[in-house]
Amino acid sequence: MANEVQQFDVVIIGGGPGGYAAALYAAAAGLNVALVERDKVGGTCLHRGCVPAKEFLETAHVRRTVEHSASFGITTKGVEVDFSVSQSRKNEIVGRLYKGLSGLLKGRKVTVFEGTGRLDADLTVSVLDGADAGVKAKGTNVILAAGSVPRTLPGFEVDGKIVFTSDEFLELTSLPKSAAVIGGGAIGCEFASMLADMGTQVTILEGLPTILAGCDTEVVSVVQRAFKKRGIDVRAGVTVTGHKASKGATKIAIDGSDDVEVDMVVLSVGRRPRTEGLLGEGTGVQIDDRGFVIADGYQRTANAHVFAVGDVVANTPQLAHVGFAEAIVAIKTILGESVVPVDYDRVPWAIYSNPEVAFCGLTEAGAKERGYDVVVKKDPFGGNSRAQIIGETDGVVKIIAEKRPDGTAGQILGVHMAGPWVTEQLGAGYFAVNWEATAEEAAALIQPHPSLSETFGETLLALAGRGLHVG
Amino acid sequence: MADVTLPSLGESVTEGIIIRWFKKVGDSVARDEPLFEVSTDKVDSEMPSPAAGVLVQILAEEGDTVETGSRVAVIDENAVPGVPGQVVAPAPVAASAQVARPVESGSDQSVSGLVVSPVVRRILSDGGIEASAVLGTGPGGSITRRDAERAVANGPADDKVVALSNGVRRMGQHMTLSAQSAPHGFVAIEVDADVFGDLESIGRVTRDGVVIADEVVVALAAVRALGEFEFLNATFASDELVVHRTVNLGFMRDVAGDGMLVPVVHAAAGLTLRALARRVDELAHRVASHQLTTDDLMGGTFTILGAPSAHTLWVEPIIIQPEVAVLSVGAVREVPVIEQHDGQPRVGIGRRVVLGLAFDHRVCESMAAAAYLERVGELLAGMDIESER
Repeated sequence: MANEVQQFDVVIIGGGPGGYAAALYAAAAGLNVALVERDKVGGTCLHRGCVPAKEFLETAHVRRTVEHSASFGITTKGVEVDFSVSQSRKNEIVGRLYKGLSGLLKGRKVTVFEGTGRLDADLTVSVLDGADAGVKAKGTNVILAAGSVPRTLPGFEVDGKIVFTSDEFLELTSLPKSAAVIGGGAIGCEFASMLADMGTQVTILEGLPTILAGCDTEVVSVVQRAFKKRGIDVRAGVTVTGHKASKGATKIAIDGSDDVEVDMVVLSVGRRPRTEGLLGEGTGVQIDDRGFVIADGYQRTANAHVFAVGDVVANTPQLAHVGFAEAIVAIKTILGESVVPVDYDRVPWAIYSNPEVAFCGLTEAGAKERGYDVVVKKDPFGGNSRAQIIGETDGVVKIIAEKRPDGTAGQILGVHMAGPWVTEQLGAGYFAVNWEATAEEAAALIQPHPSLSETFGETLLALAGRGLHVG
Repeated sequence: MADVTLPSLGESVTEGIIIRWFKKVGDSVARDEPLFEVSTDKVDSEMPSPAAGVLVQILAEEGDTVETGSRVAVIDENAVPGVPGQVVAPAPVAASAQVARPVESGSDQSVSGLVVSPVVRRILSDGGIEASAVLGTGPGGSITRRDAERAVANGPADDKVVALSNGVRRMGQHMTLSAQSAPHGFVAIEVDADVFGDLESIGRVTRDGVVIADEVVVALAAVRALGEFEFLNATFASDELVVHRTVNLGFMRDVAGDGMLVPVVHAAAGLTLRALARRVDELAHRVASHQLTTDDLMGGTFTILGAPSAHTLWVEPIIIQPEVAVLSVGAVREVPVIEQHDGQPRVGIGRRVVLGLAFDHRVCESMAAAAYLERVGELLAGMDIESER
């Protein structure tokens, strides 16, 4: 078996969201699919990323609810946290989803090879190690979906005791008294928010002038205010130069600010593509100078029969749902079906911190940079009846529209939200941006009352010229 | 190391323009795998690799004019693909996102009329504009709101400037030359085509497994009739008519999106229907696979044009220079015909086809052209298709 080359319609390297979506979608189209996975299908997202992180954040949410229960007349005798229970609950959820996904792949007759895949010449994928070491699978087409791993910082050796990346952090069974989160992007803010809600003293250290760079400034300031209110020490525009550990704690040296002493350092400084060793000789696939695979809008690499999807692809957002979408584009391209490439400017973004952030399309600054004259309206959640009922009124909805020659708002360019459950509310904004609706077209549609989504509807009404509450 | 040279492209051709490399330096290539495409004033041809190995050097870039016999590339027969140490010249494709994106015109999947937004669909519908008429500028050629609004305001698609392909340019030059130099006359007659009914009932496939097209049956009659009308199997040179002893029969062939070619069946006189069908089929394959050589396109003495569609009545073709006539064939039609039944006329069902002859009026006139067509018609009507096949 080991030396025989097995033939498939599609061979996929990597079983994360990009890879397994490609496998499921291809198998649904009747293609014969092999998937090579070095660890467990589900990838970073299911085992070490999105899913476990959200379980932790939900634990923080439950704790907040319990803490505020007295305002509803429900009193408890203090709050005790056994974080190991949350950890095992997370593992149960992940385990169930993993089992479900494995069953789904089996049901669709996807051949899963266990081991590290390497693409060699002639569209042949070699399994280098693991249970299926020695297997060679040749595809009519090959999809690279090898994913990414957390970046680290020089001077910060990851030991899982003091210095953590998301990989180690998500295995915690107890939480530290104090922590520094290096990197204030989406992942960093989620970790910081969760730790702070659970009672940890948190410092965020960010090299850029602001946390959540790339988000609309209005949204960033909502999060910043909420973080400050909860005692999170946000230091932006600073550079960490190293740390000195002693007796279960460490002192971080910071350029541009005072040193800080913490029990734990969490590195969230981005993710790098896992492409080392991915390609053998003569594949024709091109890698950029940062190690990402270069692919076009149809996910084709420089080799017309090799595609790339997910976090390995150069210059695209590292989001699981972008990986899903890219996988569908790749398979449809392979099938020769008509397909629209992913419009990366208009994919949905969701950050599950407290308050949550969700957005789609251009920011106000981004729209101006591209030469648009804009009309902008925003509505805070403070006046929303449902927000008051659930007791979470921090937040805002901001909509950016193109300004017509007569000064009125035309096509909606961006929808930005911060506040309660906005990750679930973004859908309407996503449709408005991607269907290229104008303010008045979207404003004519009705939002239920009382609901959090009325704030989005109210902002649209205001943008269309006359609001009920907002000017 | 094996040298790749530009092979002879035909008797009268001394040079060609390299228009495309299918491989880049560092790529492995199999023997006879298409390596590059070369353009001459007659045809674009794909050139097969003379050896298997790794392309290590390209000596003539796309756009270069190269003399036949000169070196254009080097193939290392012992190299391993993609090993940088063995690459002599830097790969022409740089590792930048801009350059490396495989944008091949042939595999561009964008389609016109791609609507992804219901808002866009409504704008087009309100404006009374078909989506297929709008040029999309969004991802994958999808129609954006802006495209739709512009189309409603200005009418459907903006004018498009299309660069002419080599094939179209060559066709244009030849047709202009012919139309300007030869005063064209034209005659069309309708003839009995019941022979095609016989062909249908007997079966079109020859023993060689080739499907006999209507055009080929007419070509057989046309070649035979030329024996009696030899001044039409001729070429015009300055002030003289050169009448040819052999019939080299050209077949006008459209090349999708790239103009027209006229491959020639040489020495067609005396060929059986089966042999003629096979020769025509071979040429068709070479046209489709870009394997035509210049020799395939040279030496024509008379040309035939098959029906371009199922309902074509007739076509007035332009003469391929320096020939003096071109025969066009309409579509075979079932028509009501008057036939004698027990000494009484009655209406029956018959087959008819219109044959046309465009001729050079400097050397031929309508009566002779019509007489030739009548003779072709007689030969067609009298053809014993079963024994010919």
